[in-house]
Parts: sequence; structure tokens; C-alpha cells
Amino acid sequence: MAVGRRTTLTVAVLAAAFAAVQCIRVAPSNPAPRGDLVAPPEVKVPLRRACFDCHSNETTWPWYSKVAPLSWVMARDVNRGRQRLNFSEWADYASDPETLKHKLDQIVESITRGDMAPWYYGVLHSDAQLNPHQRELIIHWATQEASSISP
Amino acid sequence: MHRSPTLVLLAALGAATAVPRLSAAGSDDLVFEIRAQDGRFEPSELVVPANQPFTVHVTSAEKTAIEFESFELHRERVVQPGATITVLMPALGPGTYKFFDDFHHDTPEGAIVVK
Repeated sequence: MAVGRRTTLTVAVLAAAFAAVQCIRVAPSNPAPRGDLVAPPEVKVPLRRACFDCHSNETTWPWYSKVAPLSWVMARDVNRGRQRLNFSEWADYASDPETLKHKLDQIVESITRGDMAPWYYGVLHSDAQLNPHQRELIIHWATQEASSISP
Repeated sequence: MHRSPTLVLLAALGAATAVPRLSAAGSDDLVFEIRAQDGRFEPSELVVPANQPFTVHVTSAEKTAIEFESFELHRERVVQPGATITVLMPALGPGTYKFFDDFHHDTPEGAIVVK
């Protein structure tokens, strides 16, 4: 009996805590794009599908992005992703060509190493994975673009 | 149908200004210097005029490469020891735009203050 009461109490406390954290809300936001990525469709389409949720202002916020604490994790990841590389602010990078070149080099490095998307994102978004052909196309495009920028 | 040359000119002007443009960045007239040395930026606060493109020369006197980075300014550039890079900046609205060394997070942040 004591065990049953303890279990009930634990569930009640957890439920109350879960309800309480819902009061700490993060507002999902998609600011207006400031200069979208310019790339051929065979590059842009897979990038959009696999990367834009965290690396653009066109994030698709799923239902769990409104449920704490998942909402906190997602907002943090999107914020960090946009800070590091934001395809919706491509024109800003392009206004300093060496910064743009650096971003393109980072895309090549990241895709070559296969460290994007994070594993936990891939668990929920199987479509975030690039196939070998798509990786090759994106690497080729980014390499070409970077090499066209004169130092 | 006859159209007045003035109306045609105004229509053309309107169409031209409606085309989205990339904001130009960098200027030969407004050039500022930032130096990375002994684990800090000098000056740590750079005051620049609002609404004018400008250029920043970043020099590293550190023994290892630094990365001059600003999320707010969308700039990310590696500076090798002893090298100077030229960073082109667009016209900015008044405000404070932070920058940091992404290779050395113990280096205190700097800021470009636009007035």
C-alpha cells in the first residue's frame, strides 16, 4: 500500500512540475528573410529540407515546440543554428565576400565530416539526412562558389 | 496611346527603386582599426557613424590565429598571427553590435557602437 501511495505521489508531483514548466514559454519566431540563399534547385531543395529548420528564418515549428521542456531545447538549437549560419541572411554574408567564403568553406567541412544534423534531430526528422548524391552536389556547389570569390 | 515623358521617367524610377538591392558594404573614406593583442581587443569599443558603410581593419598581434566574429553583424573571419584583414561593413542603424574571438572565448567581447 505504501509503495502504491508513493507512486501516486511521485506521479502527481511530476505532473504538477510538468504543468508548472508550461508557464515558462519561449515564443517561436520566424523573422522576415533579409536576403535568401541563391543556389540552383538541386542544391537549395535538399538544403531547405535538411537544414532550414535550424539554419534559416523558415523554421517549421512542430507541435512539441510548444511543450516545455522540449520547446526550450528546440528554441535554443534554432537560435544557435541561426547565429552560426542563417540561409535567410545570406545577403548579409555576401556583403563581405570573405565572410561568405568562410561560410561556404564551413558548409563543405560540415557536410564532409557528416556532423550535421545532430543525431537527436535526425531521430525525429529522418528527412534531415542528406543522401550521398545530395552531399556531393552541395559540396561541389559550395566549393565552386568559394573558389569564385577572389581574395 | 501617348504617355508623357515625365510619367514614363517617374514609372521607370519607381520600378528601379522597387528592385531589392544588397546593401553596399565597406568604404575607403570611413576606415577603423581593431587590434587583437594580449588576449583583448583594442579598442574594445569602436564608435562609428550611423547609416554609412565603413571598413574595419583587424590586426592580430597574437601568437595563434584568432576568429573575429559577430553574430549581429554576420561577420566571421580568421586572422592569422601578424596579419591584417579588411572587413567590409554595411550602413548600420544606431545600436551596439558585439564582436568576439571565437577561437578564444576568454578574450573579452568588443562592440561596435553605432551613433
